[in-house]
Amino acid sequence: MRKKVLLVDDEPGIRKVVGITLADLGYEVLEAVSGDEALAIFRREKPPLVLTDIRMPGMDGLELLKHIKAENPETEVILVTGHGDLDMAVQGLKLEACDFISKPVNSEMLEIALKRAMDKIVMRQRMQNYMENLEFMVNEQTQHMVELERQCAAQEAVDGLTKAMGGLAGEVAGEFAMFNALPCLVSIQDRDQRILSVNQLYRERLGDRVGQPGFAIYAGAAGEGLDSPVARTLRTGQGQRSREGLFGPDETLSAVTVHTAPIHSADGQVNLVLEILVEAGEVQRLQDELHTTRQRYQQLFDEAPCFITVQDRNLRIQAANSRFRQEFGPATGGLCYQVYCGAERPCFGCPILKTFEDGCSHQCELTVRGKNGDPVNVVIWTAAIRNAAGEIEGVMEMATDITELSRMQDHLASLGMLIASLSHGIKGLLTALDGGVYKVNAGFRSGDAAMVQTGWSKVTELVGRIKGMVLDILFYAKKRELQLRQMSAADMARQVVEAVAPKAEHLGVVLTTEISPDLGDFSVDEVVLSAAMVNILENAVDACVEDKAKASHTVVFRARPDSSGVFFEIEDNGCGMQPETLSRLFSVFFSTKGSRGTGLGLFIAKKAVDQHGGRIGAVSEPGQGSAFRIWIPRSR
Amino acid sequence: MAKKIMVVDDDPDIVEYLVSIFSGKGYDTCSANGGEAALEVLEREHPDLLTLDLEMPDEWGPRLYRKFSQKPEFKELPVVVISGLAGIHLAIRRAVATVNKPFDPDQVLAIVEGAIGKP
Repeated sequence: MRKKVLLVDDEPGIRKVVGITLADLGYEVLEAVSGDEALAIFRREKPPLVLTDIRMPGMDGLELLKHIKAENPETEVILVTGHGDLDMAVQGLKLEACDFISKPVNSEMLEIALKRAMDKIVMRQRMQNYMENLEFMVNEQTQHMVELERQCAAQEAVDGLTKAMGGLAGEVAGEFAMFNALPCLVSIQDRDQRILSVNQLYRERLGDRVGQPGFAIYAGAAGEGLDSPVARTLRTGQGQRSREGLFGPDETLSAVTVHTAPIHSADGQVNLVLEILVEAGEVQRLQDELHTTRQRYQQLFDEAPCFITVQDRNLRIQAANSRFRQEFGPATGGLCYQVYCGAERPCFGCPILKTFEDGCSHQCELTVRGKNGDPVNVVIWTAAIRNAAGEIEGVMEMATDITELSRMQDHLASLGMLIASLSHGIKGLLTALDGGVYKVNAGFRSGDAAMVQTGWSKVTELVGRIKGMVLDILFYAKKRELQLRQMSAADMARQVVEAVAPKAEHLGVVLTTEISPDLGDFSVDEVVLSAAMVNILENAVDACVEDKAKASHTVVFRARPDSSGVFFEIEDNGCGMQPETLSRLFSVFFSTKGSRGTGLGLFIAKKAVDQHGGRIGAVSEPGQGSAFRIWIPRSR
Repeated sequence: MAKKIMVVDDDPDIVEYLVSIFSGKGYDTCSANGGEAALEVLEREHPDLLTLDLEMPDEWGPRLYRKFSQKPEFKELPVVVISGLAGIHLAIRRAVATVNKPFDPDQVLAIVEGAIGKP
């Protein structure tokens, strides 16, 4: 069957071109011109894949994404972004869009994005199948165990059987199919202790003794007929339980447990007696089997590669497997959302509550916290546990750790985004570099030294910018472990200022320092941390240059010690920031500098400070200036 | 009077580069570094040809193109797209040519000359 894909765009041209590409790739294409129409089609057709423009009149792509994910989280949504929509694309990825492609839509990119989405759908399907199998195995084992337990409780079997027999007393002469299934030796004897009927096992072990006295099989007093279990039952009218010696057909003696139960006729007289013999060895064997099954079940429960809990209606954990206990601490008796997330109330869209409601399995992806506080991404799968009456009395939750997988996906998605956003910037820089070289050449041709000079300073500046950008990318792409070294905080502060001073001077910005003499030492990765501070200081200078309103501009770099760390502050009286800018300052690929910024600088700076266990923040007033504050602990 | 070429790009370095290429060859030039400014300059200068970047902070090239090409006097204005975006040849169908950044100055000049002739 062809896969359905829903294509949403308000521009007919794009729908047409992309639609043709999709049809070529073998998809059945559903089209919608607006978010509202898309949602209606989505509800009717349930396509596994949706490709939507971000900017549309009315309900936009992100809104549509939210609706779709709320209604069917398994649907994969690919966003189509236009110019300058990277922020929205990032937002989209946070809302669990699977991918994004930028306009104009390139068919190769489209194909890759679709393939990635389909892979994700297939992978999820597989995981689901696997979970279902696991659930099936657990169910099977549980049933087996329950059955064994029943068999083992021979006393209960007798009681139950007796009751059933009571009504059937008149029709005893025939064969009882039920007898044959029992794992014990069963006979029915009349008031003269003559055997009327035996089950298969009895016949196999002791021969067909129908018509003979039932007590003949016993050794000792019971074999006399006066004190046999059946005789005692006839005498007292009560069921009996005793241990007897038994002669086998080859005259060997073995121990058996004998249960008897009277069967009353309609007039209340004991008419018949049911006698059940359970060999001691058989009981032992059944108990062993039960034990092994239990152990296997426990092992499966503990060693399954996921966190398994059984919870009641209040989300109280009734049982947890050992993997769960390792990762989340001793949880039995605790509330799911407290143990898992440290939350005060159940998570939004809790799959367990849904299962209690409808009895079906539910699935979701969540980020929870391990006992050491680290986030753990899990796929959760639930299954109802029913009692004999079919009522749901608990829900089993299986959570599979996909942290590593999510982390890789995130990293890949942001790398992809990085490349998309940077390729444009780099091409611009290279073109401008060509411009500089062109100017230098033109200057040489015409012998104009001043033109050569301006051309050359352009080339130098652009080479510097390209270098910075490449270093940013390399830093981002590479996972770098900190190389901590004890060093003087004042030395680092001076290095940072020296690195930025020439730029500030060149641009006419006054750079002053207020560094306390008693900063002391701290343990840091010099390269990483100083790069972060240089970046912030350079931003401060840029913000001053940007501001045309004031006559003179100053950047102040302060450093002072506190009890456990060193505090840095970089304050400028530049153009300042709008609250919106301030709130997104440290997010990846956010830049106010258009094609001149990579959107990486402050993101990396924050990462560097985080890695040191420090804190970073900023305050700003539009038109007045900004201040960045960084605190670094003395030792990690 | 020499023929006039208008350069639209958000990067001042690139504007300067293109302007010096065109003026070196003898064309008159004017420029704008964003969408809004572009419409004003266009009204004022009435250029013979326009080079257009696709991605600028305040405006998306194709939309700018739609805006001015709806006006009768600019309907026939030749446009050369110069951009760093991949797959740009589809963005503006009526463009005289599309050139990828970084570009070869001689190629750009040849395209311009092919469209509007020598200065």
